[in-house]
Amino acid sequence: MIRFENIHKTYKSGSDALRGVNFKIDDGEFVFIIGKSGSGKSTLIKLITREEKPSRGYVLVDRFPISKMQSALVPVLRRQIGMIFQDFRLIESKTVFENVAFAGEIVGMPKRKLEQMVEIVLGVVDLRHKAHAMPLELSGGEQQRVAIARAMVNDPKLIVADEPTGNLDPQTSESIMALLEEINRNGTTVVICTHDSNLVDRMKKRVIEIEDGLIVRDELDSGYCAQIKEAAKSVAGGKK
Amino acid sequence: MSVRAFFNSVREGFKGIVRHPLVTVASVTTILLMLLLMASFFIFSANARAIMKKVGQQPPIEVYMRLSSLEEERASVRSFLDANPGVILSYRQMTPEENYNRFRENLGTSASILDDFDYNTYLPHTFSVQLIDPAYAGEVVMRLQAIPGVNKVLQESRVMEFLSTATKWVNMGTLVAFAVLFLIALFIISNMVRISVYSRSAEIFIMKFVGATPGYIRLPYIVEGAIVGFFSAVLAWTIAHLAYSRLFDMMMKDVSGTSYYSLVPVGSLTYWVALICVALGVFIGASGSGIAVRKYIKV
Repeated sequence: MIRFENIHKTYKSGSDALRGVNFKIDDGEFVFIIGKSGSGKSTLIKLITREEKPSRGYVLVDRFPISKMQSALVPVLRRQIGMIFQDFRLIESKTVFENVAFAGEIVGMPKRKLEQMVEIVLGVVDLRHKAHAMPLELSGGEQQRVAIARAMVNDPKLIVADEPTGNLDPQTSESIMALLEEINRNGTTVVICTHDSNLVDRMKKRVIEIEDGLIVRDELDSGYCAQIKEAAKSVAGGKK
Repeated sequence: MSVRAFFNSVREGFKGIVRHPLVTVASVTTILLMLLLMASFFIFSANARAIMKKVGQQPPIEVYMRLSSLEEERASVRSFLDANPGVILSYRQMTPEENYNRFRENLGTSASILDDFDYNTYLPHTFSVQLIDPAYAGEVVMRLQAIPGVNKVLQESRVMEFLSTATKWVNMGTLVAFAVLFLIALFIISNMVRISVYSRSAEIFIMKFVGATPGYIRLPYIVEGAIVGFFSAVLAWTIAHLAYSRLFDMMMKDVSGTSYYSLVPVGSLTYWVALICVALGVFIGASGSGIAVRKYIKV
């Protein structure tokens, strides 16, 4: 699904955000990307969604070569990706139903099919009863569930979440993660960028840790902090 | 872009007009003022051109025969004028008596001072010549002066040159004014729409991330701008039409339609004004909005 080969990213300011990153995420994986602020996590996400282009190296996302793809193909790539943000990014002037349908309208999904899809995904996030509410009438957790429903409506192959629980209390964060895990179980690849150590520790998924633009850890069934135990399965080399 | 996506986009454009009413009112007012200026300029230049055309066709050449000229000599002048239909639009021969009567008419109530004037002794036969194109004046004057019996030929060359130059300047001035006003309007509109685009930048961001193409994102703003431009154009045309109709009624009350200085009839200008207003209004609105949103849709 995602392949990074010797990726370097230097911004115009001269700062090196990524300095030779290699990893591979297979279809259907659930991966946490962790690291301190400024370590290069956001740049990595921006490269996946082609918000940025690498300065050097080769990035492949669902058969789209990010490094050399034409701008006209960027919307096509993004239709394969469901994005979830820390601040939800819902349109305040639209109802829950309209916010979710919005993503389908943009890709020209037939009206009837779109209505059915919105009903289904609102059911998945358990918000069918709030379909006609406005985003500001919802709690933070509910708003994030709407954002997840919006990310799912086009049936993407990949969901990329940037700090999806950053604005939520621990209990709500748990429910959001449970939802993303459920989506992953149905075959969608999920990549989550987070600082939430409790969740990462509890979920025991693959963890890619970035520090100063380099991958310092890539472990399966891991936690927020490096596993000292020898039993830990290091895949730092094997997942390149 | 699918048909459904296209219509969604157009529908959003209509919604945008009521979403930010103050920006809409400000945009309409700006485009309206620009279009009114453009319409006024167009009406002024159309009238200026019409007057210059009429003046240019008035007798620019007056041929004065000698007082003692013979009928054969006057016939030679007539023959010359008749022989050049591609150059001479028309001419009129005036006898001393006709010239005398014209003087009397010009003097109005003071005409009695000419009561004892012996016009046969002091006034010559004359010819008033109208040219098809003022550019032929030099050649015609030279040929007329060579005909026996011709005393002098008066040519309003400076007036003709002025008219020719003035026509060029009016045409050029109209073009330059249109271009300048167009650019100013485009600049103001794109800045104004930028406010509304900025307030919807979050929405644009989301659109980009769910896979909207730049065309899809831009279309609602272009539609919104075109509607605002069209509405402004209709208002501008209405105001220009009413104002010019009133001006026409006031100024043409005592002036004949065939006069030099008669204004161009409202009916023959109003369709052009409508066309210019709508075409420019829609174009300014749509392109101004399209430019404003460009920065936000870079993928």
